[in-house]
Amino acid sequence: MVAELGVGIGWRAEIDLTVERLPGVDWVEVVAENLRAEHLPESIVVLRDRGTPVLPHAVSLSVGGAEPVDPQRIEHLAKLADALDAPMASDHVCFVRAGGLDSGHLMPVPRTREALDVVVDNVKTVQAGLGVPFALENIAALLEWPDAELTEAQFLTELTDRTGCLLLVDVANLYANARNLGQDPVRLLDEIPLERLAYVHVAGGIERDGVYHDTHAHPIVPEVLDLLGELTARTSPPGVLLERDDDYPSDDELAAELAAIRAKL
Amino acid sequence: MTEPQRERLAESQSRLLHALLADGPAPAGFDRDRLQVEAIALLSKRRRVVAMLQSEACGDLGDRFVPLFDAYGRAHPRRIGTRARDDAREFVEWCLAQGHLDRPRRRRWPFRRATEKRR
Repeated sequence: MVAELGVGIGWRAEIDLTVERLPGVDWVEVVAENLRAEHLPESIVVLRDRGTPVLPHAVSLSVGGAEPVDPQRIEHLAKLADALDAPMASDHVCFVRAGGLDSGHLMPVPRTREALDVVVDNVKTVQAGLGVPFALENIAALLEWPDAELTEAQFLTELTDRTGCLLLVDVANLYANARNLGQDPVRLLDEIPLERLAYVHVAGGIERDGVYHDTHAHPIVPEVLDLLGELTARTSPPGVLLERDDDYPSDDELAAELAAIRAKL
Repeated sequence: MTEPQRERLAESQSRLLHALLADGPAPAGFDRDRLQVEAIALLSKRRRVVAMLQSEACGDLGDRFVPLFDAYGRAHPRRIGTRARDDAREFVEWCLAQGHLDRPRRRRWPFRRATEKRR
């Protein structure tokens, strides 16, 4: 059973007081790599002790990478989930390291059976080291690998079937892939196992030179809220979270975005 | 059990990252325009992080920051194990070594020993 979370916002050090006092914040998510279990920020301790769920969200496990997942990164995430009393932890279906280089951003995995075998193996390793359920998020990609053998929906479905992981559906990433790669986001929602849905991400972005960038630094575009509506028409998501990472707007504007999300539930 | 798969995946992922980050040859089958879009997006993200972590030095570069960083970034892709902070510092050190930035003058604080008695 997936924990009921409600509407939340990504906790960032720059907006810690805002997050603490914003009305309508049922839960928060923290970027796992920015925190240490031994020295949690005071604001996070305040939220946790207030009973606000705090979930760690990782960006660097690289479960879609060719290397087995670094045990130290798994241990860090496990310790953090434990210190936060989190009901689950998450990362992305992506890779960030290869050939000695660090991409600095989430890169898509080739959607082949062979790559899927590796991701399944890596996810099982993470699950074995975590004391809580593990959820995986779909990413926004700017390019596609050639020779895909599976659609994104098939890849995510097989991944959840074979590992028992949960799904973190980012509707802004679905929109980005629709705009940039011509994918059909509504069809994907029809085809993924929504009963495995952990929660949903919503974020803003902007179009530049014909490319939609999922910046987390601009307002949510209406089409992303519409996709959230498509999702909530199909299932009642246990949680929805607003991600804002830069160019922080006023508290009122953030509260209005949270209210717009809540109106779709 | 997944060894042969891992080896092939490692090779294809390595080719893609070298093309995107280190001016490597375009891997077969990819759309050239898409590779270009992704390469620019990755470089821009790295540049934003460096600008944030070394705001003073990057600010001193003014209009030269973007072209200098982009030239530097392609020639010096971020290696595994390099933290964002180190990446930003290494760029500033490169600017200093190349003469794009002046070495900051050491500040002389007119300090007094904390234990010194006030008269």
